[in-house]
Amino acid sequence: MASTSIAPVVPQSTSSGGPGRGRKTGTAYLFLAPFLILFCVFVLAPAVYGIWISLHTWNPLLPVHPFSGFDNYVDLFTPGSLTFGDFWQSMAATGIFTVCSVPFLLVIPLLIAVMLNQKIKGSTIFRGIFFAPYVLGVAVIGVIWKYLLDPQLGVVNHVLEAIGLPSRIPWTVDVPWAWVSLVGVTVWWTMGFNTVILLAGLKGINAELYDAASVDGAGAMRKFFSVTLPGLRPVMAFVTTVTILASANMFGQSYLLTNGRPGNTTRSAIMYIADQGLAQNQMGAAAAMSYVLFAFLAVISVVNFRLQREKTE
Amino acid sequence: MKRRTGRRALAAALAIGVGAALVGCSGGGGGGGGTQNGVSGGDYSGPNVTISFWNGWTGGAAPVLVPKLIKKFNDEHKNITVKDVPMEWADISAKMPLAIKAGKGPDVSVAHGDDLATYAAQGLTLPVDDIVKTLGYKADDFPQGLFEASVYNDHQYAIPWSVTPLGLYANTTVLKSAGLDPEKLPTDKESYLKALDALKKAGVQGEWVDGYVFTGTFEFESLLWQFGGDLYNKDVSKATFNSDAGVQALTWMVDLVKKGYSPKNVAQDGNINALIAGKTAFNWNGVWQTTNEALDKVEWKAAVVPQIGTEPAVWSSSTHWIFLNNKGQDKNKTAAAATFVKWMNDNSSGWAATGELPAKNTVREDPALLKQYPNLEPFMKELDYAHYETVSPGINGANALITTAVNEAVLLKKAPKQALDDAAAQADKILQQNKKQYGG
Repeated sequence: MASTSIAPVVPQSTSSGGPGRGRKTGTAYLFLAPFLILFCVFVLAPAVYGIWISLHTWNPLLPVHPFSGFDNYVDLFTPGSLTFGDFWQSMAATGIFTVCSVPFLLVIPLLIAVMLNQKIKGSTIFRGIFFAPYVLGVAVIGVIWKYLLDPQLGVVNHVLEAIGLPSRIPWTVDVPWAWVSLVGVTVWWTMGFNTVILLAGLKGINAELYDAASVDGAGAMRKFFSVTLPGLRPVMAFVTTVTILASANMFGQSYLLTNGRPGNTTRSAIMYIADQGLAQNQMGAAAAMSYVLFAFLAVISVVNFRLQREKTE
Repeated sequence: MKRRTGRRALAAALAIGVGAALVGCSGGGGGGGGTQNGVSGGDYSGPNVTISFWNGWTGGAAPVLVPKLIKKFNDEHKNITVKDVPMEWADISAKMPLAIKAGKGPDVSVAHGDDLATYAAQGLTLPVDDIVKTLGYKADDFPQGLFEASVYNDHQYAIPWSVTPLGLYANTTVLKSAGLDPEKLPTDKESYLKALDALKKAGVQGEWVDGYVFTGTFEFESLLWQFGGDLYNKDVSKATFNSDAGVQALTWMVDLVKKGYSPKNVAQDGNINALIAGKTAFNWNGVWQTTNEALDKVEWKAAVVPQIGTEPAVWSSSTHWIFLNNKGQDKNKTAAAATFVKWMNDNSSGWAATGELPAKNTVREDPALLKQYPNLEPFMKELDYAHYETVSPGINGANALITTAVNEAVLLKKAPKQALDDAAAQADKILQQNKKQYGG
């Protein structure tokens, strides 16, 4: 446990069954209450309601929603059913995107953060430049890059042609290029966020550790691996988890940039779920899919935290 | 034992209650047609009412045009005030069902042809058989086949407003550069291929074929009908777009790519953008492009789509007036709305400015309209053989698969037949689900 090493250091004398304990917990709950209420109303209740919906043939437009037991879930695991093929294709698409984008979204921001952490001139400006794309909405970056990446008329292929490289690359139309575009655009768009968080983590590492490492004769590489990385571990755990979840929830990029094409190859799970629930009014099936996706993400998050915890020990 | 009977009684009471509620619902939906007797000849004469009119007309010329029309209507009708509520189409379909259940929906609205049956099956819209009768509308007041495109379960559920067929756009500068006569645009397979060959010799890929709804799907559907096929069977229980006609249609499109008349991997809207940029000569696109300002800088011309198959046919979408079945819908408001709809249709000639054709024949065929909008002429000619949306609830889910097939085929991922067969198999499952959920 991360807390085991800290526990003995902080003596918990006041909290061992004193008369003030109940009141303190009450105060804590009182302060938590506003968030708890919002959490219950907007997260917990809809989540439970979602389970209920997933057990029905739930077309929100029709007056009757017949109970269907676990049919929606069974369909998702029955080859040849209406949803089986499309759902798992979309899950695979989400998997490919996550596996391809997360490493870049961790390594590149880390390198940029380390560079920005040096005492260089104009580091504030650079920080602003790297963060800037994140300010834009997905609709904006989607439209911009769709124009830039157009296979025949886009700027990117024109530039490639001008410098003598292959210039008919179907960036937004065919795989694997569509994946390159989706990952590239997402990295460009969101790396600023991870950079800023990691930069804050770097600032939190005690400078004396670096001095001590220098005295011991450590070079820049050694300092990076022996001081910087271990010092960033808690921040890294957070950034990794958030990045995986964000990538697994990818929607706007493939909706706008590739339209899920070719065929349905780049249609992400969220895109398919939204299509089923909102466009085709199959709320029951869509809710069931959401829960299967949730199960996957829960397992991945738990594994991720486990791994990080073992490292700390 | 006693407790048990009590519970049973409760269950029975509940069942009766639910049943009564259901009967109430269906009464409102199915029997609504008989309650519209207050409409007299399209001239509402009842007490003062304010009717709410939702529409998705948020772009192009509409935001200026519609308020003007409504103001004129309101000025001419002292006892009716129409409240214009424009919002995005997507918002309308998202908000309307709940609003109607709560009795806060619009009294009148406009819907796309492929949504009509879905709305009707949900009981959101009123059957308009009686309104049609009192307004004096007949099928031949509108283009062929359009009136039938709003009949669901033997009831008329909407009144036509506009149609938007596909046409052949040509960049005449590009045609001239390839030595082609811009006054003689291709009309059939032979002349079309001849033009494409001439363009190819001049280094121009004449028609860029894409695999998206706009416009690959529309082109495929047009060709499918031209080869004598149809999207679905008569009662819309089975997809038929993978018939021989469908395979011929899609093979034609794929061959354009394979033979180099079209580049591979055309992006969405890549074809119209290429036409505007002078990189291609032809594009099968909707009449709405006539209002595309980017085309103003280009020398272009439109024509009827060439007949590649065995019979003339072209894809068209349509929009229709619908009357909403709000909880506790005021008959006077529906009657007033009918008056409004008739007046709008009679005064719809200005609607051509939005790049749509007014549905009402007498308005559209008025020579003054073509004098003002000469580009619309070929599109009007096509209305003799245009095909409109499939009338079946939940059809959009099945239609989406057609685009998937077209996409896979024109990207050369699958052979045309394979792509269509796969899509049809999945579409059949959706049609089955639709029957189960919406009935009939």
